[in-house]
Amino acid sequence: MNLSLNFRVIGETLPDFLTGLTATVTISLAAFVGALVVGVIACAMSLQTPRYLRAPAVVYVDIIRATPLLAQLYFLYFGLPSFGLMMPEIMVGIIAFSLNSGAYVSEIVRSGILSIPRGQLEASAASGMSYLQQMRLIILPQALRPMVSPLIGQAIVLVKDSSLLSLISVLELTRAGQTLAINRFMPVEGLATTAVCYLIIYYGLKLMAYAWGRFNQVGATR
Amino acid sequence: MIKFSGLDKWFGDHHVLQKIDLDVAKGEVVVVCGPSGSGKSTLIRCVNGLEKYQGGSLVVDGISVGDSANLRRLRMELGFVFQQFNLYPHKTALENVTLALIYVRKLPRQEAIARGKELLRKVGLGDKFDSYPAQLSGGQQQRVAIARSLCMQPKIMLFDEPTSALDPEMINEVLDVMVGLAKDGMTMIVVTHEMGFARKVADRVVFMDKGSIVEVSEPETFFTAPKNERTQEFLSKILRH
Amino acid sequence: MNETLIFLLDQIKSVIQFHPVILKGLGMTIVVSLIGIVVGGIVGFALGVGRASSYKALSFLIGAYTDIFRGTPVLVQLFVVYFILPQAGVELDSFTAGAIALSNISACFVSEIVASGIRAIPVGQLEAAAASGLSRFQRLRLIMLPQATRMIVPSLVGQFVLLVKDSSVVSAIGLLELTRSGWIVVQSIPNGLLVFSVIGVGYFVICYPMLYWSRKLEKKH
Repeated sequence: MNLSLNFRVIGETLPDFLTGLTATVTISLAAFVGALVVGVIACAMSLQTPRYLRAPAVVYVDIIRATPLLAQLYFLYFGLPSFGLMMPEIMVGIIAFSLNSGAYVSEIVRSGILSIPRGQLEASAASGMSYLQQMRLIILPQALRPMVSPLIGQAIVLVKDSSLLSLISVLELTRAGQTLAINRFMPVEGLATTAVCYLIIYYGLKLMAYAWGRFNQVGATR
Repeated sequence: MIKFSGLDKWFGDHHVLQKIDLDVAKGEVVVVCGPSGSGKSTLIRCVNGLEKYQGGSLVVDGISVGDSANLRRLRMELGFVFQQFNLYPHKTALENVTLALIYVRKLPRQEAIARGKELLRKVGLGDKFDSYPAQLSGGQQQRVAIARSLCMQPKIMLFDEPTSALDPEMINEVLDVMVGLAKDGMTMIVVTHEMGFARKVADRVVFMDKGSIVEVSEPETFFTAPKNERTQEFLSKILRH
Repeated sequence: MNETLIFLLDQIKSVIQFHPVILKGLGMTIVVSLIGIVVGGIVGFALGVGRASSYKALSFLIGAYTDIFRGTPVLVQLFVVYFILPQAGVELDSFTAGAIALSNISACFVSEIVASGIRAIPVGQLEAAAASGLSRFQRLRLIMLPQATRMIVPSLVGQFVLLVKDSSVVSAIGLLELTRSGWIVVQSIPNGLLVFSVIGVGYFVICYPMLYWSRKLEKKH
């Protein structure tokens, strides 16, 4: 097997990779924001006492966690047009990823909130605070700290998930690699460059997580 | 001021509070003691609604505690000091003390800060305004917790084993603050094992066992001539040290 | 309204007629996932023990290897196996390629789970075991593994669920598993919601019990 890489060809196709990379980053960012919105709403619902609010949130999370993202993507991709909802594939993707990651974000937020000792709720209740005041002043500020690490992990997952959009012809990073592999008959160069690009993003996010970990430790005396 | 009438509470099948009858008058200091599992913590937690009861009635300053609509307003008049302090770790001592003043009593910030500082000085922590709970000792944290409750100018102060989580050398600094409060005429219910405190300031001592009140008497009578056998048993166990 | 209902019932009938394809897909999903779980589990376990060992070079190498596969999408890894391995002379159909890629990624994630489980055991335990004269192998078998296993199992079960879901990506290289069967059916019955709901139910039936089990295991601690 010829392992030497044809760097000239890689150099020529770099603009395409850059386009793909930008698309991947954009999709991931948009989906991350979407996931935060969906996740916070779902989590808020799952913490309410009345069943009609809690049940949908729980069912939603269970369905998402027990079915593959690709099936969810196809569900929307093939299903939305029957509602007359025609939209660019990239939008379908962002919606699918927001809904998918939203379930995991909901669990992250939930465990962050539940990790706050009960005494905090009791002390704030004892001084007459309303539930909203308790959340805003006491619980949420403390709950944010343990959420950061898992949320960065979810961002990593989103970047990898975005590769699935290549299957519905969105020009993102994996598809850019495919183009090189198929059009120019250079699968090794194409896939290697693709892998390297993903790893750059991966290690970048891991670095962020590490930096946060260090920052968190320093502030431990607070 | 506080009236328990036939109060009943169950935790599942466990009858934690059995037909409790007790009156606490204004300015009175009542100490509640008993073995663990006797229901004394549950009793005091019912007063400000941290625990709900199923039977009987509990009226505080004319308001029934079971009526949840008035609970928040009632809680503004009740100070509660926890065994585990429960200070807000992300806020300074001063912020801990003024938080409820600003957001619940809706006091203007400057006024709240002034009052907070005064109270922190009163409990002996005038140099710790900007310290975070993690930087304070247990005794100091509990004193901040007391100041936090006092700041709301409550009519009644409730203490749930305030010194049980403290190292021995810090117990006295907290008890001294509580003695001061009693001498100032505050209505207090204190769940505690600190019998020296009871002897010094309690108007009455209540002994609870297995969910009911076994004996209620004045401190001198309680310690020297307990009427009930179970009371005698309990006293002999804890007074040995 | 009546017409849409009849139309819907018609579509449901057609979907049911496709049940051979769907069941075949379901079976394939189960088979390829099982291979990935078993092979990946065994290899991953060995890798995990190596990663948690005190041989720094070994730990680093394993860590670097698993990092690569934990940091790149399954789809890309699948393409690498399917398109590039044949250049080394290995004959590959989509099933074998899928099984290899899934086993590999499973091994990488399992190794991290196992390694962190081992590292979580308090050092004092191992020191006590060594002090009482137990050999390295005995310490591993009698002290480390039982405790690490208790911590690891919930995460492992969670990983199996992830693997079943990852198997859906193998449809991209043409393997007729559950997702691809849905893709095939939807070409004839253009009701994406209906078809992929059925597919979803298929996955749910496999994954939810495992998910539930993993949550129960986690609560035990």
